[in-house]
Amino acid sequence: MPKFEPVLLANIGKPNSHALAVYEAAGGYRALKKVLAEMTPLALIEMIKSSNLRGRGGAGFPTGLKWSFLPKDHPGPIYMCINADESEPGTFNNRILMEDDPHQVIEGIILSCYATRAQTAYLYIRYEYPLSYQRLQAAIDECYAAGYLGKKILGTDFSLDIYLHRGAAAYICGEETGLIESLEGRRAWPRIKPPFPAVEGAFRKPTVVNNIETVCCVTQIAARGVEWFKSIGVPSDPKNPRDPGSYGPKLYCLSGHVNQPGCYEAPLGITCRQLIDEYGGGVWKGRKAKAAIPGGISMGLLTEAELDTPLDFNGPGRVGCLGLGTAAVVVIDDTTSMVDFLHNSCRFFAHESCGQCTPCREGTAWALTMMERIKAGKGRLRDLDLLLEIGDSIGIMPGTTICGLADGAAWPIKNAIRKFRGEFEQYIQKTNPKGYQVTEAVEALPILAAH
Amino acid sequence: MAIVIVDGKEVELAPGERLNGIQAAERAGVDIPRYCWHPGLSVVASCRMCLVETGTRNAETGAITMLPKLVPACQTPAADNTVFVTDSEKVQRSRAMVEEDLLIDHPIDCPICDKAGECYLQDYHFQHGQDKRRADIRPFTSRRREMGETVTLFVDRCVMCSRCVRFTREISGGSELYVTNRGNREEIDVFPGRPLDNKLSGNVVDLCPVGALGDKDFLYQQRVWFMKKHAGVCTGCSTGCSIDVEENLDTVYRLKPRTNPHVNQWWMCDEGRYGFHYVHSDRRLTNVERLEDDKRLILEWSQALREIDERFRDAGRVAAVLSPHLTVEEAYLLARYARRVDSQALVVLGPVPVVGDDETFKNGFTIRAEKCPNRRGVEEIVQHFMGRAATLDDVSASIEAGETRAAWVSGGYKDAWIDEATAGRLAAVECLVVQDLFDSPLLERATYRLPGAAFAERDGSYVNHADRLQSVAWAVRPPAGVRVEAGVYGELLAMPGLVKARRVLDEVAREIAFFSPAADPVGPLGMDLKARVMAAEAAITG
Amino acid sequence: MPTAHRILTDEMIAAIQAYFPRYPTRQAVTLPALHVVNERLRYVPLEAVVEIAELLELAPAEVQDALSFYGFFRQDKPHGQTRAWVCRSVSCALRGGEEVLSHLCRAAGVRPGGTTADGKLTLEFAECLGACEFAPCMLAGDTLVKNLTPESADAFLQKVKQGVSVGGQK
Repeated sequence: MPKFEPVLLANIGKPNSHALAVYEAAGGYRALKKVLAEMTPLALIEMIKSSNLRGRGGAGFPTGLKWSFLPKDHPGPIYMCINADESEPGTFNNRILMEDDPHQVIEGIILSCYATRAQTAYLYIRYEYPLSYQRLQAAIDECYAAGYLGKKILGTDFSLDIYLHRGAAAYICGEETGLIESLEGRRAWPRIKPPFPAVEGAFRKPTVVNNIETVCCVTQIAARGVEWFKSIGVPSDPKNPRDPGSYGPKLYCLSGHVNQPGCYEAPLGITCRQLIDEYGGGVWKGRKAKAAIPGGISMGLLTEAELDTPLDFNGPGRVGCLGLGTAAVVVIDDTTSMVDFLHNSCRFFAHESCGQCTPCREGTAWALTMMERIKAGKGRLRDLDLLLEIGDSIGIMPGTTICGLADGAAWPIKNAIRKFRGEFEQYIQKTNPKGYQVTEAVEALPILAAH
Repeated sequence: MAIVIVDGKEVELAPGERLNGIQAAERAGVDIPRYCWHPGLSVVASCRMCLVETGTRNAETGAITMLPKLVPACQTPAADNTVFVTDSEKVQRSRAMVEEDLLIDHPIDCPICDKAGECYLQDYHFQHGQDKRRADIRPFTSRRREMGETVTLFVDRCVMCSRCVRFTREISGGSELYVTNRGNREEIDVFPGRPLDNKLSGNVVDLCPVGALGDKDFLYQQRVWFMKKHAGVCTGCSTGCSIDVEENLDTVYRLKPRTNPHVNQWWMCDEGRYGFHYVHSDRRLTNVERLEDDKRLILEWSQALREIDERFRDAGRVAAVLSPHLTVEEAYLLARYARRVDSQALVVLGPVPVVGDDETFKNGFTIRAEKCPNRRGVEEIVQHFMGRAATLDDVSASIEAGETRAAWVSGGYKDAWIDEATAGRLAAVECLVVQDLFDSPLLERATYRLPGAAFAERDGSYVNHADRLQSVAWAVRPPAGVRVEAGVYGELLAMPGLVKARRVLDEVAREIAFFSPAADPVGPLGMDLKARVMAAEAAITG
Repeated sequence: MPTAHRILTDEMIAAIQAYFPRYPTRQAVTLPALHVVNERLRYVPLEAVVEIAELLELAPAEVQDALSFYGFFRQDKPHGQTRAWVCRSVSCALRGGEEVLSHLCRAAGVRPGGTTADGKLTLEFAECLGACEFAPCMLAGDTLVKNLTPESADAFLQKVKQGVSVGGQK
């Protein structure tokens, strides 16, 4: 195992790590006490800004900057929404934090609410995390009893309530405005922007949406300081004045065909290969990797040759992936069919597309129809071009959708076919020797029953 | 003055004017295709058909910077120096993509779809689509599901623009319609046992850009390309919604709201929309008849009018009852005729039907309790001739006093409008002329029965509850035997040639101050008589 | 409420109303209310939707709109005593998740989404359960069943059949 001393995961594995007493014994809530005693909300925002902390939920937006978008001197209420809808395939770091160190999460929420002057925080947690829900609720109850939550926290004028809000199995609720719509009791159709949530969010009031790991980083920055945070990771690109860098520790989820899947904390910028070999114990069964997902399935694919890509906010993008995403690495070994992989990916996004924007609703379903047909041995070479056309045209980046779900659906298609085209062509020619060159529209397979 | 550049063409915005890309482009004569955007509903920007390129022009250097990605024109505000490009290859490709996407699941059953001919999906396919299908073909269905009494849904034709759902939430307020399921399994639905049954329900059919929502009243009645549209006014209540009367070969098939920001915006109520069928009722009066010894004799129009004219002149004191269903022009002519035979003739407003209370919906649209189009116009004419308000009671009293000996009662009511007792009192004259659509207690007692015209057959102007005057032209010819009121009065007044409503209105505008603004041309949205008069007064006093 | 045959018990109504102070709108209580009912009845019948809508001052169609979006709440009949979701997303699929799901379905005699004849088990596929380090995995009620194999799947079915409570589902 490598030398990096875990910080975010420091308490994980201790007996009763989820209990308040254990958390406090390890120095928990000291940062909160210090900040409430010594810092103004504005100073805390400045602190987080200068740390260059970037959101851990997927997009990597600078957290301090997001907070500073809130209108000044707003009469309130201002809402904090904590995004614990962690649904990106391959991602489970937030679950571990919530299950085994809920107080680190809560301390981060309290600090973030103090900075943003939010007095109500809704923690939107996916229904598939029952243990996280129970542990968080117990921790929140402990906090109310200990005076960390409720009216006049620790004797100051700052008051805060945290409410858990359970989802109901919909990936799109991880999109911040989808989350807000779902919280408000409607179908989770993401909202058009502007207005951004900082101006008009939950219940039409200014709102910040932050990820679980992000608020844990806030806790650690408040406890250990900006210098500590910036001593870890990858500095900003001096040639790009707009690059905030990739500072701090990061929780990397490692799964798929590795010997030791798990959640590992490492400095941002560790390469994918280091993660697999040094943390994950290498590819399983003595095989070689064919590819790896760099940060959740929506980020696309790294080939074996690209595994030395550093997993910071800029690395995956340089080799044609969408980005770092959730930093969830899924390893695919060399016996796996990329046809199966892409089918799995298309099925996921067709199932999870919220159905609001035409290109995503129809595009993801059409891609799945083609992948089902290809998998069933009725593929055509032309399908690969059609799939690429869908991949290249749907998403917030070309501007054809409201939210980024479609970009996430597009990237696995684009990367899989562009980086592994030979394998797809071979599969199609082998399984459909008579029809692989057909270019006219063909009959669809019977629609599979889905619930 | 703010300038917006659309495809290289500059258009100006008025100070404070807030337009989106679609509206700014419209001003430049560019039609941006769209499904989900509607000016009367919230913006959702979800169909993605209106994607365009946008950027800004540097006011000083004139240099244009474009955004790299496409944006929905509906969601993009047109500000000073905003640039829109709507015809680039990129834009055309994205339109073709959306059309292709929407057609993947669409049944393409245009030959049996009512919407064919006025369908956005169909029109845009020809304008922006690609000629070959590339998606897999699967057996198509077009499941039909009832939404309520008035509206039916062809489920698979839907493009999920959500206009209808937003309408029931934002305009009518009942929230009956909703989207069910997720992704491409989505459908429009109603909750079991809670059908779409508000009084504005028919509007969702107008809003539907494709053939998904069908109007049961119109379903399979007529191909839209056979019908001609005539700008009209709904005469169902005193709101006076602007409408299009759509007919083919003198049969009205449907009424549609005609956009009028001053009156009804984009909407109309079901009462008005479906209330036109009486126009073609086989109970319509079509014979001119004279009651003689309890027998009815059918007369020629010209003979009847000669006889009536003689008897009115002989009667001395006469009365004219001006129905609130008459146009301004007709009411004026009838009053003038009465005054010609008797300079003291009573000129009164006929019964004003009132049913229930005004009903106002979430967005402010109001169905009025007053079920006629022109009480205000007729009132002002009565005021002009009488110097006071006068009603049917004045006529009954005058008859009872033995003064009035002949009366002309105009009708035009589609429902029962007079009771036996009132009819009995009015009938106590020597000569009673009743001009109406249907049988009534009064008609039973009439000396002369004249078949009258229905709203779709008339030319002329109506003044609604808010003193807005709207002029309309006839849409269909009346049934054989019926003559339109204006023509009848023109003949009695020996006016030369055909009676032209506009010429009559010119005279009304000259003679009656209230109508003076109508000396100017009346546009398709009508004119506000009150505001104009107030403005004129302010100009004089100021 | 005046209805003679109410679906929501006083206890459920109280549980739903307890959420009201948390949110500035009633509509925001939609998901909590659906969960309250679903946890007790193991489904949310249409009648319950009407009653929830009444409590939240909404049209039933608005509640149904949200409910149907998630595909989580059953409406025709209650799910089995244990509701088990088998993950089919990428990390689990790479380690045999789909095979385990088919194996379970065959062994239990149901299709994905179906409930066994004895009403003890409903088997469903799930998208990523967020427990990829334990792939392939399954969430049975509140319990995560880790590193599934055909053998451990059979053992799970055995327990369910014997009526051993799996997952602490109410």
